[in-house]
Amino acid sequence: MSISVQGLTKTYGTVRAVDDLTFDVEAGKVTGFLGPNGAGKSTTMRMVMGLDRPTSGTATVNGRPYAEHPAPVREVGALLDAAAMHPGRTGRAHLRIGAHANGIPRSRVDEVLDQVGLTAAAGRRIRGYSLGMRQRLGIAAALLGDPRVLLFDEPVNGLDLDGVRWIRALLRGFADEGRTVLVSSHLMSEMQLIADRVVIIGRGRLITDAGIDEVLRGLGGQRVRVRTPRAGDLRAALAARAAVEATAPGELEVTGLSATEVGDLAHELGAPVHHLAEVEQSLEHAYLSLTEGSVDYHGATA
Amino acid sequence: MSAAVVIARTGRAEWARIWSVRSSWLFVLATAVAVLGIGAIAGTDASAPPPGATAWDGSRPCALFALFGILAMAVVTSTADHGTRGIVPTVQWTPRRGVLLAARAGVIVAVMTLLASVLVVVATVVVWALKGGVGLPAGEGARTVGDLAFVYASGALLAVGLGLVTHSTAAALVIVIALVLVLPLLVAQLPFGWTTEIATHLPGSGALFLIFGEGPSDDMTTTSARLTMAVWAVAALTAGGWRLLRTDVDR
Repeated sequence: MSISVQGLTKTYGTVRAVDDLTFDVEAGKVTGFLGPNGAGKSTTMRMVMGLDRPTSGTATVNGRPYAEHPAPVREVGALLDAAAMHPGRTGRAHLRIGAHANGIPRSRVDEVLDQVGLTAAAGRRIRGYSLGMRQRLGIAAALLGDPRVLLFDEPVNGLDLDGVRWIRALLRGFADEGRTVLVSSHLMSEMQLIADRVVIIGRGRLITDAGIDEVLRGLGGQRVRVRTPRAGDLRAALAARAAVEATAPGELEVTGLSATEVGDLAHELGAPVHHLAEVEQSLEHAYLSLTEGSVDYHGATA
Repeated sequence: MSAAVVIARTGRAEWARIWSVRSSWLFVLATAVAVLGIGAIAGTDASAPPPGATAWDGSRPCALFALFGILAMAVVTSTADHGTRGIVPTVQWTPRRGVLLAARAGVIVAVMTLLASVLVVVATVVVWALKGGVGLPAGEGARTVGDLAFVYASGALLAVGLGLVTHSTAAALVIVIALVLVLPLLVAQLPFGWTTEIATHLPGSGALFLIFGEGPSDDMTTTSARLTMAVWAVAALTAGGWRLLRTDVDR
């Protein structure tokens, strides 16, 4: 039970949205799919689901392209775009269409509505749903065929804290049941909590495909953040013993020394220390460092 | 799993897609009001019917209104998925796009043809009941309904094809109304022989000939009218099908 992407390429005119991408998603794990805006994550997921046609390469689920499975929604469920629904239809009617198309009994529609907590709102028209409710309905649609492989594109968008905790437990539960879970998100803290592996892409190309621990280890040793009005003097004193980076006026980040060692050195110099702490290794830091140079759209700072 | 089972399931989903939105029922209601209303007006018309006239003759204008009702409904039904981006879950649920095309076109054409034919039959009964001195011969009725069913089926197919080509309700409506109503009348009025020839080959001219027995040219026959409508319908569906089958979804 897995997703296999091999040499996948998608071009739009002169733009290569996905460029010779290769990775596998294993069963029994939550795999985070990360990348800056425009990196090609959604396009890749759409190609896996047969919505977009690859320029070259293949995307298969359990050894076959999605469309070639005899009962595709029983193999794969996907939430790609929660806004992609007819607003004039009720939530229940939306799901029943999917059930009719795949020979799924009506009782399953009620089951998934219950699973996502939408039973009470199932008879209301979708135009009256909040973004979070649409997200839940999209997740219900993905679960309709009780598939072994699940793809979610930004599933926590629009969800409140309860919803986020629910989706976190849901995804973890699916992986623990041995299902294959591929989930894209911009929320690195969320990914760090739920993902076992991450596939990071930038400008359509693979940047890394590794376990979370492996990615965090790749950041190097412990980092220490220190703030002092004599940052220049401290930096000069630290330079011989560790890697030092000025991260803000009066602030340094030191790699290779403990907080105690940095504090002692500042004391020897007679430099007043206003802040001294070890920086927690985060997926966000790893992600930013890995995708540096792969970001197409930067915002201006005031 | 056989292709027939997959098509049947997808057809059931397409049927549910039609009845599960309020706009479909509004179209049915509006078309019914228009068709039966015209039938009532024709039935209460004070002028004496020509000798030998039947209720089927009196309900011909109803057939035209039914045609426009179902053309509009077919366009809206076939483009709704694209306008709302509901085509994304649709293709996920039915990734074999050939099956989706067959089911979508088949269900819309069947529903529209049945709806319009039933409305015209009921309107004809209204004419017959309200207007004295006209008959309701079954043989003529069968022929008339057969001709009309062909007009409605090919018109609905044309509308579905245009909807799939344009992905836009407004664009498809404008084109289908132009082809079926506006252009046949306008082009036929131009004082050139070649414009009459063009008008003869428009789908609206075929529809008008099959409904009223009159066309822009004396050369038109029932066969040529049917052929004209069928060619347009198949061409539109081929173009729409090509777009559905060959291009990325919702791009």
